[in-house]
Amino acid sequence: MQILAQLLVSGIAVGMIYGVIAFGYQLTFATSKTLNFGQGEALMLGSLVGLTVVSITGYWIMLPIVLAFGLLQGSVVERLGVRQAIKTKSESGWIMATIALGIIFKNMAENIWGRDALKFPSPLPEAPIGFMGVNVLPMEIAIVVGALALMLAVEFFNRRSIYGKAVVATANDRDAAGLMGINTSLVITFSYALSSMTAAFAGVLVAPVTLTGANMGGALGLKAFAVAIIGGLSSGMGVVVGGLILGITETLTGYYVSTGYKDVPGLVLLLLVLSLKPSGLFGVATIKKV
Amino acid sequence: MLKHTCAALLASTILAGSAFADTVKIGLSGPFSGGSASMGVSMRDGAKLAVAEINKAGGIMGKQIQLVERDDEARNELGVQIAQELINKEQVAATLGYINTGVALASQRFYQEAEIPVINNVATGTLIARQFLPPDNKANYVFRTSANDAIQSAMIVDEAITRRGFKAPAILADSTNYGQLGRADLVKALEAKGVKTVAEEKFNIGDTDMTAQLLRAKQANADVILTYGIGPELAQIANGMAKLGWKLPMIGSWTLSMATFIDNAGANGDGAEMPETFIQIPNTPKRKAFIEAYQAAYKVDRIPSPVSAAQGYDSVYLLKAAMEQAKSTDGRKVRAALEDLQTKVDGVVTVYDHPFSATDHEAISANIPVFGIVKGGRVVAAHEEDIQGDKAVRVKPRH
Repeated sequence: MQILAQLLVSGIAVGMIYGVIAFGYQLTFATSKTLNFGQGEALMLGSLVGLTVVSITGYWIMLPIVLAFGLLQGSVVERLGVRQAIKTKSESGWIMATIALGIIFKNMAENIWGRDALKFPSPLPEAPIGFMGVNVLPMEIAIVVGALALMLAVEFFNRRSIYGKAVVATANDRDAAGLMGINTSLVITFSYALSSMTAAFAGVLVAPVTLTGANMGGALGLKAFAVAIIGGLSSGMGVVVGGLILGITETLTGYYVSTGYKDVPGLVLLLLVLSLKPSGLFGVATIKKV
Repeated sequence: MLKHTCAALLASTILAGSAFADTVKIGLSGPFSGGSASMGVSMRDGAKLAVAEINKAGGIMGKQIQLVERDDEARNELGVQIAQELINKEQVAATLGYINTGVALASQRFYQEAEIPVINNVATGTLIARQFLPPDNKANYVFRTSANDAIQSAMIVDEAITRRGFKAPAILADSTNYGQLGRADLVKALEAKGVKTVAEEKFNIGDTDMTAQLLRAKQANADVILTYGIGPELAQIANGMAKLGWKLPMIGSWTLSMATFIDNAGANGDGAEMPETFIQIPNTPKRKAFIEAYQAAYKVDRIPSPVSAAQGYDSVYLLKAAMEQAKSTDGRKVRAALEDLQTKVDGVVTVYDHPFSATDHEAISANIPVFGIVKGGRVVAAHEEDIQGDKAVRVKPRH
């Protein structure tokens, strides 16, 4: 029982890491039906910029700087990689462009910070907290709380603010929204900025546990993509649940089956979802009219 | 006068570039970026230090050494390209290199075919120096100055079971060739002592959570963790144990001395033990001079990977001795000279006294490495008595 609880706690912590990254995919998909395949690199850049800034300013001043950096980085990705593809209604241009930008960001980071894994200072004590025989790191609790708080804040912003109305309108029908006087390309740019901001925040949030480094984006970005597919790209709630499902199945399979097969059930689940409910567990199926 | 001639020679070499015949071109291939960069860079910097010393003292047979460095990024296909470039375009007399066993195995056959010696300075895969053994091949052109995995795994098991008396080892190895071949070597060495593992767990490069692996080892009542992996994931194992409040001694391959393990595990990594051919301790004049020269040249206190640096440094002197004995830089003659080296080479790791023969291309024998232990962010000797007195320099027994 105690072991199961420990596995669940670790699975939830890992799952929230995946979930908060996947949340960024969902943000841009909602407005433009495009994704930033460099999401993992946005996370990596945020965490490395944070690492550099934290040594100068301390932890709390670093956070707004990293958030601002994320906003800027996301706008750059949209301007360079996505805007042209949307304008020409290209079906795949943005895929190659965001992947290419991701590679460029990674190479830049390798030149600036090197390619070694680096330790990110933890703002909380590093000693584990024991609770009925289950140990958890304070930072793991912070990841869960921080990720949930960030996602709630973004959701709240999207639902309650005038910008949110514009997002919903753009998501429903971009052309109609444009005719109603909504600057849809600005909405899309802003959704990319917001998406990279969540990734950058996720980067500094998870780095004390996962270590940071130019290569951290690849594996985490891919896992998060699987989460976004499982949970459904159109649902913020879906990616959280998808992340938890993947994180928990990984740790449970690792313990009860074999650590060599840890990643398999998650991928089987991905295939099942794709074949049975392609829009994701929480996704809304849409009919595309041509 | 001599000094002026040397300076003029050096200047003309630089001006004339590679076309000038008065240089000995030596290739160097290793990852200077990527997860194993600390090893590649230290190996390169160690070799450069030796080249600078030799060039300052007049070079090899009056010729200056020109090192042709290439970054293989630990990628097999890039290693192959570099091997072909160094052989065909640069026409090197020999190559030093390889941190990664995969890159070595993919690339070294080009040197074998071209009959140019290649000295593996860091890669530990047991197969490397045996891939082209005679009599199946006319001659083997692949040499090595690092302790191979068979030696390391036997040492790890000996330390854990015999010296420290552990009875229930759990193996944690990564899913790469390095980790899985190492795991197989460890199991074999354990069987030779009649000990069975209580758990054998796998993890992937980039894994951030080791809870499942560690809990399985814990449930199996393991009393020691044997590791085969690289720095960042090894650090996650140490940090994972701290999280579970369950700290077992870690004993594993020499990668536990990587800076990425020591720095990322912090206090959790203290006490980890690994076999080392060289520990950054100035206990002989040669080692003292080497450490000081490295620190001065590269402005560091802690050498990122002392083992790689020392092995890289020594390999240049081995090559110099062989070329001078052969009175030639011809690959076949240098290979023959390496296999029958008459002069003793006083290196940082050991004194190389007939280090190679036609059938044995391993400069490091099982008696040379000692156990290092992580203490306060540095690697020190695990057992002081191992490096005291006449044990400071351990030499390979003559054939």
